[in-house]
Amino acid sequence: MAALRSSASLLLGAASRPALRASAAVPAAVRGMAQVSDGQQQNMTASGDKPKLKTFQIYRWNPDTPTEKPKMQSYTLDLNKTGPMVLDALIRIKNELDPTLTFRRSCREGICGSCAMNINGTNTLACLCRIPPEDTAEMKIYPLPHTYVVKDLVPDLTQFYKQYKSIKPYLQRDTPAPDGKEYRQSRADRKKLDGLYECILCACCSTSCPSYWWNSEEYLGPAILLQSYRWLVDSRDEKTAQRKDALNNSMSLYRCHTILNCTRTCPKGLNPGLAIAQIKKEMAF
Amino acid sequence: MISQRAGTTALRRVAGTPNAFFTANVARLGLAQSLSTTQTRPVATQKITAEDQHSILAKQRLNRPVSPHLAIYDKQQTWFGGSIWMRITGSAFSGSLYLFATAYLAAPLFGWHLESASLAASFGALPPAVKGGLKFLAAWPFTFHFLNGIRHLLFDMAIGLRRQTIVKTGWYIWGASFVGGLYLAFFL
Amino acid sequence: MASIARSSLLRQVASARPGFQQGVIANATRATAFHTTARRDLLPPLPQRVEGTVNDAAPIPEPSPSHGSYHWTFDRLVAGSLVPLTVAPFAAGSLNPTLDAILCATILIHSHTGFQNIIIDYIPQYRTPRARKFFMWGLNAATAVVGLALYEFETTDVGITETIKRIWKA
Repeated sequence: MAALRSSASLLLGAASRPALRASAAVPAAVRGMAQVSDGQQQNMTASGDKPKLKTFQIYRWNPDTPTEKPKMQSYTLDLNKTGPMVLDALIRIKNELDPTLTFRRSCREGICGSCAMNINGTNTLACLCRIPPEDTAEMKIYPLPHTYVVKDLVPDLTQFYKQYKSIKPYLQRDTPAPDGKEYRQSRADRKKLDGLYECILCACCSTSCPSYWWNSEEYLGPAILLQSYRWLVDSRDEKTAQRKDALNNSMSLYRCHTILNCTRTCPKGLNPGLAIAQIKKEMAF
Repeated sequence: MISQRAGTTALRRVAGTPNAFFTANVARLGLAQSLSTTQTRPVATQKITAEDQHSILAKQRLNRPVSPHLAIYDKQQTWFGGSIWMRITGSAFSGSLYLFATAYLAAPLFGWHLESASLAASFGALPPAVKGGLKFLAAWPFTFHFLNGIRHLLFDMAIGLRRQTIVKTGWYIWGASFVGGLYLAFFL
Repeated sequence: MASIARSSLLRQVASARPGFQQGVIANATRATAFHTTARRDLLPPLPQRVEGTVNDAAPIPEPSPSHGSYHWTFDRLVAGSLVPLTVAPFAAGSLNPTLDAILCATILIHSHTGFQNIIIDYIPQYRTPRARKFFMWGLNAATAVVGLALYEFETTDVGITETIKRIWKA
């Protein structure tokens, strides 16, 4: 089904698609997958809108042919029939043009962090990145920079997750709660966690950091350090000293040279640069 | 698929009765079923042990390319970032200081004249345009490193780390360092 | 039918008309060769290896404040003290010999730690331990030589700020 649609749309172009659909008159039950813009599409063609073509250049590498070099492949879509975000375009390319295109996606609303990738030079979530509608320039889409590529836009984040595990991202506490029920926190202490707990670990910031590019084996990177700070400032955590000790070497924390690409790229609007600066400040004296 | 669909439509057209729709669907179901049962799977599956899984994955990992980084990342942040130019200007200064100092120490051995008086004299003998150019070549990295150094010290005190502030001050530093460099080179 | 039969149907279509499909793909998309910078890298990234299983945490280094927090704080103090030291000559015309010597020493330390940072960043210990050692000791030696030379310069010549001033006014 998908293959038919893709070949048809490729062959006949977008304009003739409703006609094809009408003649086929397939009952809804056998349709392969949900159509995003059926009604919309008819309206568009009825009002005689010109197709707004946009070309996407996408990084491709296939692990089944490992000797072949990674290459850029371009796909052209009509923006009138595509959702507003880059992820919509990617899904449409995968559905209609090339089912072999591989990328991670899940929630499509910026809460899972799966679709982190490098779009037009900056790391962001494809589901939160609008396709500039008036701009006709090609969009370039790469996997997160300086990561090992599993396939196409899918990076291997094993090291990232191992580093996350190494900072013990959970509450460490020996004394029981005074009321025997829960660990309470003042409003002010709770407020310190704002801007930290929202991090979804999409790895956009870490992979935007040149320091992390060169030293990801030993340097923790902005995302993990932000998480580290989230547990350092938590008033309920009692292992602050040990947490600081774990960072107190030349590599884990101090490879940060305040390049601040992290803060500029975070798709959630958080500030890893500030969190790292706070850690350094707290550890300075 | 195309032929299949065409067939159904044709059947429906020929029959032209509400019943035909039903029959067509039955025929379709039958067809789909026979398709999936008669088709041979081109990929055979086999069970592997956990160790094999690991070794296969480890082998696959060795083939993985590293995604592009410096070449594709936003030029404004990588090539015009304050941080890398901090490093470039700093190491240019320190490098020339190290070179000059080593040469100064070795000068008596080779009969070079690197005393301040002879340096000033030989620099003074250059044409004014060259003098200004050389001065700017030294003055701009100095103003840049100085101003951006203050910015970085403020960063380290967790000041000025809002996203817009970072971008803005980054550009201010470029402008100010050029103006300052020109002033030092030509008006001092 | 949709989900069960789709994959097999897809395969059928694909195998039935390979020429057709390929022609379409060649038409609709153009694949360009992609140059990674890896070839020109001085130290290209190694093939991926993962220590242990994916569920093991990354190793935590031993704490060593002299390479960590003390080092960082010292660096900032040196850099911070350079701000007034470099402004002073502009305000005063030039520096007295003591201040000039302090400026020289501070610049030397600042350069040394700066070079150290560069070496730590670009010559990774885990990958090229011998090169790291070589450059670190080379830097120490160079700094010692430069320190000696600056001492010579400060004691026998007119001092750094005065020299720069004379060259600038030449």
